Amino acid sequence: MKSIETSVRPAAGKKRNAFMVEMKRNYPYYLMMVPAALIMFVFSYLPMPGMIVAFQDFNFVDKFKSPFVGWDNFKFFFTSSYAYRTTFNTIFINLNYLVWTTFVSVLFAILLNEIRSKLATKFYQNMMFLPYFFSAVVVGKLVTDIVFSDQNGIANQIIHLFGHEPIVWSQVSGPWGWIIIGTHIWKTAGYSSIIYLASIAGIDDHLYEAASLDGATRWQQIRTITLPMLTPVIIIMTLLSIGGMLRGDFDTIYSIVGDNGLLFAHTDVIDTYIFRAIKQAADFGPTAAVGLYQSVVGFILVFGSNALVKRYNKDSALF
Amino acid sequence: MHKRSPSERIAQLFIHLILFAFAVCCIYPFIVTFMVSLSSEKSILFNGYQLIPEQFSTLAYRMVFQNQFIYTGYGVSILVTVVGTLLSLFICGMAGYAMSIQRVRYRNVVAMFFYLPMIFNAGTLPWYLVCTQFLHLQNTVWALIVPLLVSPFNVFLMRNYFATVPASLVESAEIDGCGVMKTFVKIIIPLSKPIIATVALFIGLMYWNDWSSALWFIDNTHLYPLQYMLYRIKSIMDFVRQNGAMGGTDMPAATFQVATLFVTIGPIVLLYPFVQRYFVKGIMVGAVKG
Repeated sequence: MKSIETSVRPAAGKKRNAFMVEMKRNYPYYLMMVPAALIMFVFSYLPMPGMIVAFQDFNFVDKFKSPFVGWDNFKFFFTSSYAYRTTFNTIFINLNYLVWTTFVSVLFAILLNEIRSKLATKFYQNMMFLPYFFSAVVVGKLVTDIVFSDQNGIANQIIHLFGHEPIVWSQVSGPWGWIIIGTHIWKTAGYSSIIYLASIAGIDDHLYEAASLDGATRWQQIRTITLPMLTPVIIIMTLLSIGGMLRGDFDTIYSIVGDNGLLFAHTDVIDTYIFRAIKQAADFGPTAAVGLYQSVVGFILVFGSNALVKRYNKDSALF
Repeated sequence: MHKRSPSERIAQLFIHLILFAFAVCCIYPFIVTFMVSLSSEKSILFNGYQLIPEQFSTLAYRMVFQNQFIYTGYGVSILVTVVGTLLSLFICGMAGYAMSIQRVRYRNVVAMFFYLPMIFNAGTLPWYLVCTQFLHLQNTVWALIVPLLVSPFNVFLMRNYFATVPASLVESAEIDGCGVMKTFVKIIIPLSKPIIATVALFIGLMYWNDWSSALWFIDNTHLYPLQYMLYRIKSIMDFVRQNGAMGGTDMPAATFQVATLFVTIGPIVLLYPFVQRYFVKGIMVGAVKG
């Protein structure tokens, strides 16, 4: 018994000592990490105890000592119609973002790679990349005031051209889920096609040379070389974005829809719901409960998708 | 270069058509925006948005530049972008550098500290309570800067780049009596200009385009950044109308909005040709990392 104790103590002492020695030796480096770590702490760690509000009937007098109400806040949200609607819209929009952005940007990357003229490639790339530089508000204004405006919009002009009645866009919610998805693709296709174009550029030229010596057409080369070589990148990008499935694209959606309740049926996502609940209804308890639900499911998704990435390609895992 | 078969030429033509169509989709709304901002209110009311307006007018632009909010908006946005970018670059760069040094023993523990919030975060409400009840950021310019200062992704991007600087360089500098901070500023930063330029542009774009910080925290119209001013353009228009600066109801509402939109994207359109390739480089660096 005694021998174990004596063997443990010096080890513990050594450990503490090692820590002090390390601090003494490298303290300037640790000091350099402090500002970033401090900001990280304040904005990402300090809010964590605040999750307790999810179980409280929050009021500004008692603040975090407000009375506890158990699972009532969760019951309130999950028995309301909002729970299904916002969860469905969030996942529906995010899934479509994922599928269509991947499809369109891989397609464009392959097409850009096929073009002979380097000048034309540069030209198309520059045009496609441009929307990425504009803020969500600018994009939102373009969508609501220029393209899908009720009176003068480009969309209604095209509809008129085909001899149909103009649509009062601000009052029909049906198309807006798709308009948001289209806007996202329009904004990010140029950006993400650059990623895939970089991966295509990394493919060994010998593969193509060998294939064309064997008489493979360009289309066969794309199918049997380019696409299989891109698959790992596509899989990893997909898995990484699954972690964010329950995080609504607040900036784009809120700048397009705003507080137009007529469009909520197809556009209200968890994040826009949370925003309204905080800023307009000051409904803190249930909002914290929604946030906790979002974080816990998000945690499971990130963990699950990361485990899959790890199994697939260890180097690409997030952690 | 081998000979092109006719079928290949047709394929090339189709590829050009598809890409050209999408490229046009990407810039068409901006061109329309520009042309509409230059048309008279009447020709819009009669003909809708047109690529070539029947009647040109610069009234909308004259009004936009008479409007005080465009100047305060620009002022706030420039201030936030410059201060935010410099601070963020410095803070993230220092942390990234310290984490890139092999002999710093707990660098992976610190890296974990930065990673964790990407996996689990507290949610919006607790974050909002910390910002408003604890830091009292509402209606201060700091609300637009501080919450966005540290992005773990940028820290790791710079760490990975700094890690490629030969360790012997750092060691010899320190043997020569160069302090850690001095080594970082005098040796590492000049060696890392490409990554710093790229990260700076990404951070700058983020600050310039940020509007939801103002949505959460700013009620004071004098602190509206440009993007948020654009978001609130309808209420600002009501304000201008009430003050009757332009003869009340004669205000060209539609063109005024569109002209404001174009004035806010002006700097980006002007800068785009010069900075675009740095962004492409940056995306590729980030993509290689995964």
